[in-house]
Amino acid sequence: MVTLRHLCKTYARGDAKVTALQDVTLDIKYGEFCAFVGPSGCGKSTLLNLVAGLDMPTSGEIVLDGRSTTNLTSYEWTKIRRETIGIVFQAFHLVHGLTAEENIALPLMLSGDEGREISTRVDEMLDRVGMTHRRRHRPAELSGGEQQRIAIARALAHRPRLLLADEPTGNIDSHQGAGIMALIRDLATSGGQTVLLVTHSSQAAQTCDYTWTMQDGRLVSRTPRETGMVAAW
Amino acid sequence: MSRFSRVVALILQSHLRQWPLRTLLTIVGVSLGVSASVAVRTANVDVLRSFEQAVLSVAGPTTLEVSGDETGLDEQLVGSIRAVSGVTSVSPVIFQTAVRMNRNQPSQAIQVIGLDLLEEFHTRGFQMDQPASEKQLMNMIDPQAVYVGDALAREWKVSVGDHIDLLIGTGQLRSQVVGILRGPPDRRSSWERMAVMDIAAAQIAFGMVGKVDRFDLVTDTNVPIEEVGARVRAVLPPHVTTERPANRTSQVEQMLRAFRLNLTVLSWVGLLVGMFLIYNTMAFSVAQRRREIGIYRAIGMTQSRVAALFLMEAGLYGFFGGILGSAAGMALAQELITLLGRTISDLFVSVGTGGSGLLWTDQFWKIVIEGIVIGCVVSMIGAIGPSLDASRTTTVRALAPGDYEASQQVRVGGLAVGGVVLLVVAGLLSWPGPIDGVPILGYAATLCLLAGLACLAPICVTGWRQRRYVGREFSAGGVMRGIAVEHAARNPGRNGVTVSAFMVGLAIMIGVLVMVRSFRHTVELWVTDTVLADVVVAPSLWLRGTEIGTVGRSLPSEWMSILASVPGVAAVDSYRDVRIDVKGQRVAVVSRDLRLHAQWSRYLVRSGDSSEQLNRAADIGGLLVSEVLANRLEVHEGSMLEVATPSGPRQFPIVAVFYDYSTDGGKLLMDRALYQSLWHDDLVTVFPVYLRDGTHLGRVREQMTELLSASGNGGLPPLIISNVELRKEILDIFDRTFLLTYVLEAIAVVIAMLGIVNTLITSVLERRREFATLRAIGGSATQIRQLVLWEAAYLGTVGIVLGLIGGGLLSLLLIKVINRQSFGWTIQMIVPIGSLIQAVLLAGVATFLAGYFPARWAARQPIVEGLREE
Repeated sequence: MVTLRHLCKTYARGDAKVTALQDVTLDIKYGEFCAFVGPSGCGKSTLLNLVAGLDMPTSGEIVLDGRSTTNLTSYEWTKIRRETIGIVFQAFHLVHGLTAEENIALPLMLSGDEGREISTRVDEMLDRVGMTHRRRHRPAELSGGEQQRIAIARALAHRPRLLLADEPTGNIDSHQGAGIMALIRDLATSGGQTVLLVTHSSQAAQTCDYTWTMQDGRLVSRTPRETGMVAAW
Repeated sequence: MSRFSRVVALILQSHLRQWPLRTLLTIVGVSLGVSASVAVRTANVDVLRSFEQAVLSVAGPTTLEVSGDETGLDEQLVGSIRAVSGVTSVSPVIFQTAVRMNRNQPSQAIQVIGLDLLEEFHTRGFQMDQPASEKQLMNMIDPQAVYVGDALAREWKVSVGDHIDLLIGTGQLRSQVVGILRGPPDRRSSWERMAVMDIAAAQIAFGMVGKVDRFDLVTDTNVPIEEVGARVRAVLPPHVTTERPANRTSQVEQMLRAFRLNLTVLSWVGLLVGMFLIYNTMAFSVAQRRREIGIYRAIGMTQSRVAALFLMEAGLYGFFGGILGSAAGMALAQELITLLGRTISDLFVSVGTGGSGLLWTDQFWKIVIEGIVIGCVVSMIGAIGPSLDASRTTTVRALAPGDYEASQQVRVGGLAVGGVVLLVVAGLLSWPGPIDGVPILGYAATLCLLAGLACLAPICVTGWRQRRYVGREFSAGGVMRGIAVEHAARNPGRNGVTVSAFMVGLAIMIGVLVMVRSFRHTVELWVTDTVLADVVVAPSLWLRGTEIGTVGRSLPSEWMSILASVPGVAAVDSYRDVRIDVKGQRVAVVSRDLRLHAQWSRYLVRSGDSSEQLNRAADIGGLLVSEVLANRLEVHEGSMLEVATPSGPRQFPIVAVFYDYSTDGGKLLMDRALYQSLWHDDLVTVFPVYLRDGTHLGRVREQMTELLSASGNGGLPPLIISNVELRKEILDIFDRTFLLTYVLEAIAVVIAMLGIVNTLITSVLERRREFATLRAIGGSATQIRQLVLWEAAYLGTVGIVLGLIGGGLLSLLLIKVINRQSFGWTIQMIVPIGSLIQAVLLAGVATFLAGYFPARWAARQPIVEGLREE
């Protein structure tokens, strides 16, 4: 599903250059649930941004669904995000002025889906994240955990094949965090999605099939899931 | 520098560095407002100073001036005046205008002063070379001799001995320069742009043998001037005026008061709109820095100092805006002086169009300081609300996580009620009449109207918001529109101010547009109904208005028989128009053959039949009075009016009141025979000629030109203007008069546009994270552009709707209250649909342009950085 070849990303900070990613090469198969862990600034989020096409690599190649993304235009990346990718952010990033259901409907509307389809899909997603009773509420009226549930519903509403989750439990307490991870796992498994999860939390990482540890922009090690840990969540 | 000032400087510096574009837009907005105000004020002052300077320079040591109407004074009066006790000297003066001919084409109009040069060589304040010999002395008083001002001589490249051709009335004078006039060496003088002739030569040249324009008196310094004035008045006919020279300036000032006041008020619109812009900028600044304010308060800054911080920031915008605005205003004033001088000369009195030239000398720093003061005051007034809001920040809430602004709801309901109250007050203020001839309450009503609509803007911004999109609209365009409206409606305070600024600019544009179109329509109807002569024979430079002087606007009465002899001519009228004083008002006395006019043409009389009234006035020696004058003198049909004529004061019955739009000074119309018997004036201003049906206009013109040129004295051929051309000329003068209005309006609209750009940039900056989120979940750059454009469209639509309502109400105030009270004209209101559509389209395009650049910028922002925004 996702293949990265010799991926590098360098930022210019004044005269200095900061290397965020160095020669990252990996292959993630369809349906895999993979976590990236490591200290702050090790390049986890940069990696996710590059896979989502939100940022462009300095060198190297990203292959999504067997298609190289090297020469894609901004609009082609937009289409890929509409059709293939869903993103969950640490800070939820819900649109303040819209209600919960409107936020979930947003990617479908941006893709130009039909009204009835949107309505059905929004109802379904609200039900799956357990937020039907809060559908008319605006983000400011929801708790952090509830906002993240809506964000997950929004990320999966258009049935993406790839879900990118950047610290989805970073802004909520551990109790709600466990619920969010379980929800992502559950939804992704039932929908057959490939999931790339960036997290600081080793507990969260344990819900995944395997974990890549990163340091100084490089992939350091790959660790398979320890059995029994999922149950601990 | 105090410690607080250092803190303020530090904070402001960092803030200005952070938002350079918004700072620049705000400063440009303020500077535009200041420039319009400074330019109009400077031009107004300069044109009057130019007139005043000319009056006082020529007056020299004169303490009293004795003058008659435009037909001049009998020079024999000199004996009676000299005999008055307290009068030390009496000098006859001719004060006329000639036009210099350059390569046989008329060019510049100059003032020519006829003085008794042998007597007044040293008394008038000009300097010239002394005649060294008797021959030179004789040259000085030669009928062709002329002294030319230093500045004119340099401009025309002429020196002593050169010949210049002057067009005087219908004739041409080949004169010789016998000397150059210089003003005092230490300052500029009006003499430098004038020509002087000996009085006898001037009387011949201007066809005023036995007459003078005025007598300049020097009185005994031991006797009060008023006392001498009273004694002089006692020995002179009642139509003769005796006054101090400076009074003439104040008379002109009085005559122009309404015109200048309207212009000044219009120039303040830019400042008013600029005030909204400042409010907007400062309100955003406060919202943006709420947490910062919390920190200041937490570390010990008092409430008043927080308010002072923001006021000083606004003052700084005003300071720089003032400097820029005064520089731009001075540049604009240079153009306005010419335009204003021309308009005033067209409509009121010749004031010259060269300006006093003082703009860049002693006035420079005064204008700059004035600009800075205006800029600072306007900016600080605009910033009062946001500054108070900043000072009342609740520290704990400002420092707590979350959105402080979300908890600060603008009281849109309360504001709306206030708005309605202000509209009612505006209605009430429009009922009473003027105060001291000035529509003070009318202006107050205008202010209340605009303020009332501005108070309604926030509720209009929130009122139209859509609550939900799912289940209603599912298209991407629909959701973008929805988010845009939602966002615009979520900030009624800030967006209300933007909409208000736009509404004010547009309302004034529409209000003035409707007023001008209605006025033009009224004038068109008036011209169509009353200007019926097929041909008008006029002096060659008649269309240059009062600029060419009274002699330049006169024709010999003998031309009447010549014109009547042209084949195809059915009737010839003699129209004479001279200015006199009636009860302190400068009034045009128009005389013509009323019976002939009744037969061939008409006046738009307020009641009754025109032809009947004209015949009756001719029969009983009555007057027809223009509506403006009737209102001003408070007379009506059937009243008696006393007029001081050269033959003594006379009581005239008023037969009818007629609508007239040619002058705001008012008109008296009487039969020519009556006028001639009282004024002893045979001259004619123009000859309206009526042709027989089927007569070829071109052929009649040719024959008239041929016959009149043969009878003339070498001057330019007379102007023979057809009915169509005359109507067009009248409307051209009308359009020229309102050109200035359009310029000032455009400035206000540009400032309002800057307000929209400012708001949208602010909005885009605030919502970078939202845009990045939309991009991340599949929104394209085009959709982000659409989002911002929809927001601009929403604000623009609310502004346009309010602007249309405001413009309609404002036009009513302008037509029914302000114009009527200022000038006394009745204007028939029309709704110029085509022009209104154009104005709305223009506003729409302007809104689109104002939204386009922020939209493009928003769509180009990097997504990752946007997602990191807090």
